[in-house]
Amino acid sequence: MFELKNVTKSYLTPKGRRYVFRNLSLSIPPGKNIGLIGRNGAGKSTLMRLLGGADIPDSGSIVTDKSISWPVGLSGGFQGSMTGRDNIKFVSRIYGAEGEAMREKVRYVQEFAEIGDWIDEPIKTYSSGMRSRVAFGLSMAFDFDYYLIDEVMSVGDAQFKRKCAEVFQEKLQQSKVVLVTHTMPEVEKLCDIVLLVRDGGIQIYEDVAEGIKAYNT
Amino acid sequence: MNSPVCPGAPLCCAVNILKPRSSFQIQKSVIFALVLREARARFGERRMGAVWTLVEPVCHLLIFTLLFSLIRGRTVAGVEYPVFVLVGMAPFLLYRNTALRLMDSLRENRSLFAYKQIKPLDTYVARVLVETCLSATVYSILVFGFAWFGFDMAVSNPLQWLITLALGLLFAFGLGMILALATHALPSIKPVIRMAFFPLYFISGVLVPASYLPQAMMPLLLLNPFLHLVELIRAEVLPHYTPVDGVSEMYVITLTVILLFIALGSYRARRLHLISTKNG
Repeated sequence: MFELKNVTKSYLTPKGRRYVFRNLSLSIPPGKNIGLIGRNGAGKSTLMRLLGGADIPDSGSIVTDKSISWPVGLSGGFQGSMTGRDNIKFVSRIYGAEGEAMREKVRYVQEFAEIGDWIDEPIKTYSSGMRSRVAFGLSMAFDFDYYLIDEVMSVGDAQFKRKCAEVFQEKLQQSKVVLVTHTMPEVEKLCDIVLLVRDGGIQIYEDVAEGIKAYNT
Repeated sequence: MNSPVCPGAPLCCAVNILKPRSSFQIQKSVIFALVLREARARFGERRMGAVWTLVEPVCHLLIFTLLFSLIRGRTVAGVEYPVFVLVGMAPFLLYRNTALRLMDSLRENRSLFAYKQIKPLDTYVARVLVETCLSATVYSILVFGFAWFGFDMAVSNPLQWLITLALGLLFAFGLGMILALATHALPSIKPVIRMAFFPLYFISGVLVPASYLPQAMMPLLLLNPFLHLVELIRAEVLPHYTPVDGVSEMYVITLTVILLFIALGSYRARRLHLISTKNG
């Protein structure tokens, strides 16, 4: 569950301060898959980053007792001149997987992303498909209570997509997602609760169909 | 290469839940991870990267010391010239590189702040550690090399020398952080700062003893903390070297404390802004 108390978030742009949220308070009930929907620029991704702790509100607080992933499939954090293995190790170290646990993660990603001995080549030599397979596998190698997904759900070819979907289904047995998307069928399929982000405010819809209807109008 | 695996059985058991960690443990592992990454990135830039990363500064120092000993003659202030230059120039370069590297750290590590454990301060600390280790390695190589060819490389006050070196590093850290924060707010001043470090070479008395610098300018030159640091370090290594009048450790300490206070204070004030992806 998430508890937002008086959250204000703004960004300083060359033209002055722009507020995304002002004095926002709400609580999201526990044990639900959360869908964040809204128009472009409404603040969905900002809200997702706030929930994940990658960004901090100007004032107010966001409380949760759950573990939250980094955005699934994030490959921007990769260092191009480092090998795939070293990049995986880097993230493992940050998340406290040392020794045997780290080797386990590397094995898992190597197997999942099907990159074989490419794992010891620098990331910059990878094709974009390989890179995103590694990134997705890396996210799946760790267990979180909530996975943050920003748009990207499917990478690679049809066969790999199937595999991703299967692993993800399995993850959903114990974990939940926070999904940012514009594809409504995806929301219908995955989410139990919808947060509609609009005009600096957030409406919670416990009924997904109702939320989608509100988004479309 | 790999046979397509059935994603069910073998994969799911590979995953294990991680233990909760204290803030200190998290920061420790983040800095450790960043140090390794930083070093790897430095080495990985070129073929034989590890060798080049060491050979380049070794050559830089070697060429400078040899060149200037040819021009200036064999001894200065009672010491052999190559030794004299090396002793002052190596720490000066370390401080300069530290400050400049910290300045670029934010831009080069921006994408990492998507992992919530990593904060800009961690990247600063990691950079300083990597820079110091590289510098120490280069310095030891040169010291052993010089000693091999019969130069006297003994340090006369080793403990004091180490303390002054550490003090200089703290100063460079504070300076680098302030530069990083300033250039984050005003990116266009970066080239100006880079250029400003060039004359610092000459007014800090890296190549000649500070007593050779124009006496009339001394009160002004003594405002420069690098001059103090270089002179102090030389006096602690070379037994018969007397630093120029007015050089004081206290001045550098005071300046370092003030600088660190401003740096950490403005870091605290700007920390949200630093990790935000929307700007800079």
